[in-house]
Amino acid sequence: MILLLFLLTVAVFLLFSILPGDPARLTCGKSCTPDIIEANRHRLGLDKPPLEQYEAFIGGIFFGREFSEDSPQPVICNAPCLGYSYNRHAQVLGLIVNAFPVTFWLATGAFILWITTGISLGILAALTHGRWPDRLVMTLSLIGYSLPAFFIGLVLMFFVIIKWRWLPFPSYVSPFDNLGQFLQTMLLPWIVLAVLYTAFYMRLTRNQVLETFGEDYVRTARAKGLPERTVVVKHALRAGLAPIVTAAGLDLAGLLGGAIISENIFSLPGLGSLSLNAVTDSDLPLLAGITLCTATFIIVANLVVDLLYAVIDPRVRLGS
Amino acid sequence: MVGRSIPQIIWGRLRKDRVAMVCLVILAAYYTIAIFGPFVAGFVGIDPYKFDSSAISDLGGKPVLPNGGISWQHPLGVEWGTGRDIFAQLLFGLRISLVISTCATFLTVVFGVFFGIVAGYTGGKTDTILGRFMDLILAFPFLLIVMALSGVLTDRLTALGVPQGNASRILYLILVMSVFGWPYLARIVRGQVLSLREREFVEAALSMGAGRRRILFTEILPNLWAPILVYATLTLPSYIGFEAVLSFLGVGVLPPDVTFGSMLAQSVTYFNVVPLYLFIPGTVLVILVVSFNLLGDALRDALDPKAVH
Amino acid sequence: MASMGTRRVLTAGMAAAMLVTACGGATTTPSPAAPSASTGAPSSAPAASTSASTSTAPSASTAASTPPTGGTLYLLTNAQQFDQVDPQRAYTGEDMAFFNGTIYRSLEQFTFSSDFSTAAKLTPDLATDTGTATDGGKTWAFTLRDGATFQDGSPVTCADVKYGISRTFATDVINQGPTYAIQYLDIPTDPKDGSSMYKGPYKGTGQDLYDKAVTCSPDNKTITFHLNQPLGDWNYATTLGMSPVPKAADTGETYGQPGHLAVSSGPYMVDSYQTGNGGKMVLVRNPKWNASSDPYHHAYVDKWEVDFGLDPKVIDQRLIQSSGNDEFAMDYPAVQPENLSIVFKDASTPNDQFVGRALSGMDVYARYLWIDTTKIPNVKIRQAMAVALDRSAMRKNLGGDFYGDYADGLIKPTVGLDYAPTNLWTSLLGQPIPDNGDAAFAKTLIQQSGVAAPSLTYDFPNTPTNAKNAALVQSSLQAVGFTIKLNPIEPGKYYSVVFGAGAHEFGPAGWGADWPNASTVIPPLLTKKGGWDLSRVDDAAFNAKVAAALAETDRTKQSADWQALNVEAVQNMWIIPTFFGLTQRLAGDKVGGVYLWGPYSSWPYGDMYVKQ
Repeated sequence: MILLLFLLTVAVFLLFSILPGDPARLTCGKSCTPDIIEANRHRLGLDKPPLEQYEAFIGGIFFGREFSEDSPQPVICNAPCLGYSYNRHAQVLGLIVNAFPVTFWLATGAFILWITTGISLGILAALTHGRWPDRLVMTLSLIGYSLPAFFIGLVLMFFVIIKWRWLPFPSYVSPFDNLGQFLQTMLLPWIVLAVLYTAFYMRLTRNQVLETFGEDYVRTARAKGLPERTVVVKHALRAGLAPIVTAAGLDLAGLLGGAIISENIFSLPGLGSLSLNAVTDSDLPLLAGITLCTATFIIVANLVVDLLYAVIDPRVRLGS
Repeated sequence: MVGRSIPQIIWGRLRKDRVAMVCLVILAAYYTIAIFGPFVAGFVGIDPYKFDSSAISDLGGKPVLPNGGISWQHPLGVEWGTGRDIFAQLLFGLRISLVISTCATFLTVVFGVFFGIVAGYTGGKTDTILGRFMDLILAFPFLLIVMALSGVLTDRLTALGVPQGNASRILYLILVMSVFGWPYLARIVRGQVLSLREREFVEAALSMGAGRRRILFTEILPNLWAPILVYATLTLPSYIGFEAVLSFLGVGVLPPDVTFGSMLAQSVTYFNVVPLYLFIPGTVLVILVVSFNLLGDALRDALDPKAVH
Repeated sequence: MASMGTRRVLTAGMAAAMLVTACGGATTTPSPAAPSASTGAPSSAPAASTSASTSTAPSASTAASTPPTGGTLYLLTNAQQFDQVDPQRAYTGEDMAFFNGTIYRSLEQFTFSSDFSTAAKLTPDLATDTGTATDGGKTWAFTLRDGATFQDGSPVTCADVKYGISRTFATDVINQGPTYAIQYLDIPTDPKDGSSMYKGPYKGTGQDLYDKAVTCSPDNKTITFHLNQPLGDWNYATTLGMSPVPKAADTGETYGQPGHLAVSSGPYMVDSYQTGNGGKMVLVRNPKWNASSDPYHHAYVDKWEVDFGLDPKVIDQRLIQSSGNDEFAMDYPAVQPENLSIVFKDASTPNDQFVGRALSGMDVYARYLWIDTTKIPNVKIRQAMAVALDRSAMRKNLGGDFYGDYADGLIKPTVGLDYAPTNLWTSLLGQPIPDNGDAAFAKTLIQQSGVAAPSLTYDFPNTPTNAKNAALVQSSLQAVGFTIKLNPIEPGKYYSVVFGAGAHEFGPAGWGADWPNASTVIPPLLTKKGGWDLSRVDDAAFNAKVAAALAETDRTKQSADWQALNVEAVQNMWIIPTFFGLTQRLAGDKVGGVYLWGPYSSWPYGDMYVKQ
């Protein structure tokens, strides 16, 4: 895992500092002159050899660093320093920390939404296997799977907010400041983010449950005359849910992609729109910072999921 | 014992699946249209790049006729501001979308199968290193990385001599989607190879002194194509959707060329004025993606008759 | 030079440039050009301007009653942040209008009026009058009002104004802002690279030179500028990037950014500033502001809030619905093209429900195509390009009637006195040229040129609208025999590319006058030292005529000079004029003081109020 994180920093450094050829060219916004580019190249230390740059990058994460050391007003970037965005005149970490709560709430809400609807509809489908509720669920799942999320988001936005005016225009506030407005703002973004995953979890749950129904121990339980409810809940579901937990952990980590779309449509100030804006401005230090953070998060999440899996499914032993 | 080959068995099962057959026909139609449509269109005089000033008004470039300017001349209406024919745009856009998604899927499969086999068959250190490498790639948020590298790498491709503009962008999309997409398949393939390696027929071949390469190509690969096919069928529509998302976010293919994504992204702007403009490309896209997904499901079922469905 | 701030104009095409200041009516003499006028007699008395602004406001149906005070006004913008808040660096029309109307005072300001020609006149703000010129216009003096203070209560002195202006010279730190101080103050330039010998207050190199060029009287009340040439309208230049900055608060590069909030000298001060989606800038009343020292700012509302990072479509919808707080909101970018037909009947009339809160009027920009004259030296070829161009289809693509009128030169009618029709499209080339181009005539011109139609590359910022326009340029020029390659450029990098070695033969651009004198149009665009010479024009005879026009102190003669030079420019087809742009704006129901303010084609921020 440490090795992986190390490789990650190398990869991010290569992708965003070496690959672009001349990152300094991208450091200034609309009206660039060669002078500004040269000045920024020096300030950001991009005129040093790659290895030294990488050292500075890593050093910044652990010990902090200074940009434009020799100018009268150096930019001090305390550890953990992920870099400095010259387009935004701000430290990358600060930008990420500011945006994080929005994405956190977005992801958490969507996660709860898709886990509850996905799993319950999936179980419903499994229990009514072959009959109309099953078919309905499967059809819904297929549609949710096939419609691009941004399409759903825009259509929802148009009807629910603009045309029918059921909800006000989204304007993000912290849930601790104004819970009502928070919920009104987040409802549609949650739905948009959750649709794809809900579709996926409906199928996954249904198939898992149906599969465990065929397993010996469930048949045994049934043969023992245990009530159907006990069979379903205690035996079939418990074993069937283990892979779902795995998938859920990984999906939660990989949510950023969906968040980009959802936040963009509803103008939420989270990591997704931050990264999209960074892309439009070619703000490489910010992009590198976001990539590094989310990738680290995914790696850690992977580890946690492995551990959880062992707890839930006793058949799996760690290290096997 | 002379039996039917595995492909024959699967084809037999698939043929009985009415939904799958309908999907197959639809997809064949899509590909035929994508390949030959533009030629025919050029013949009939439909041109997605031709501006038609007479079809739009001077007031904000709004189509003159209602419903987005639907007429005999423009059966699906015209684009706001330019008067370009939407039907023609769909024809050409379909081609670009399919080129991107098909090529990207193909490359993903090539990378995935190659590295999956190498990892699974050689095992040991190579397997460990490849495994770490895959972990690393999988740790990158896919959409973010595709977006983040678009500006930088498109410039690089241009510097390498790829024509500027959409040629570079399309190539970039294909490359980056496959480079960051293959580990998913590689993991599946590796698992399959690991189990195949232990199977009798491979051991038999080994004991008969067959070479490594021979075993790989004649014994293992033929047994892999079923999961690969399923994976590819399900990956392709996700790449189509992906291209659409990227165009929507403004980092995909740019005008004057069109794709599903760019059409959807643009039509969204006019949604409250001409809703039909959004629904036409939307419907065409959804039918395509649904067909692929249904076919993928059917294939999976046909390959694994034990699976519940 | 700042590029255009709002995304919409970048996408709308001929993206770009500049600041602003426009004026209408031909009856105005925008500046006291003649030395006689400059000895006093300000072009507009402060009292007159105040009453003019209320009486001409369309919403002032209640006659001369003073608008109510109190309330909050909201600005909804798609931008992630202000390009610059720093008074020496802000150079986007709307931003300057906003800051000058709220947090910054300046020696002179433009008058609040819905009438373009009245608005183009100066109203003294920090200064007691519109300035006193001596020495034939080479020396200008302004006396500061008593009682003007910064937000900490310390008085605004000559030294603060002087320090503010000096920051412009620190071009390594304070970039992208107006540079008139560098161009016109009497400070020697480095013969090597033409840069000023004064390097700004941070390095301090050449400080004595600056101290000689800008002097303060012993009582710290009167500031005197010594110029390197006679300028009849230096007082207009003081509206651009010359607000005071207290030296102690200056943080250099970061000044005005979050964490380093700018210090207010006006009726409001920055309470908070967060950038990005969901970010806000909140302005509250400056308790130390002294209304009696400031007849210019009306300061009707209690609070301003700028909401960043909103989808332009959403901004339009919120303002169309105008409910809740959106009643008090206005757009910062212009109305999106697809919503224009909802808000407007035609290019000048709003639909009934939007009367009084939707505006459509000329912006300050003239759009054109630059042509690199060193790569295409043959004038007939350049004329053939202009003649072949399908301007009608381009205009439709950009928004048709809402986008603007066909341009006939670089000088827009909003510049006032200096505008006269060039007859470019009617007779200048010997025959009328239709809006959709004249292929036959273009082919004739190519024949007359004696060379074959060349292969050209068209540079353009890669936005959807620009890309479609590029396709139109390509198809209409190829129809007459040119071969056109398209070179899309990342929008943010467009100007740095086309100003550099990466430029090809031609591309789109836009320019607005900085004040109502073509001296801020013709010299920057068509002379090598002007700084915005995309066409790489360097014609000795033309340069001499420009220099003569700049030095001309008789304003009537000067405008005749500019008109002639404008005709010469289009006849030589150094640039192909395309459109004189319009802009459309929308505000909520309860926003008062809604009119298009000519100088910046913006909202008249300092004159707005909340309706009761």
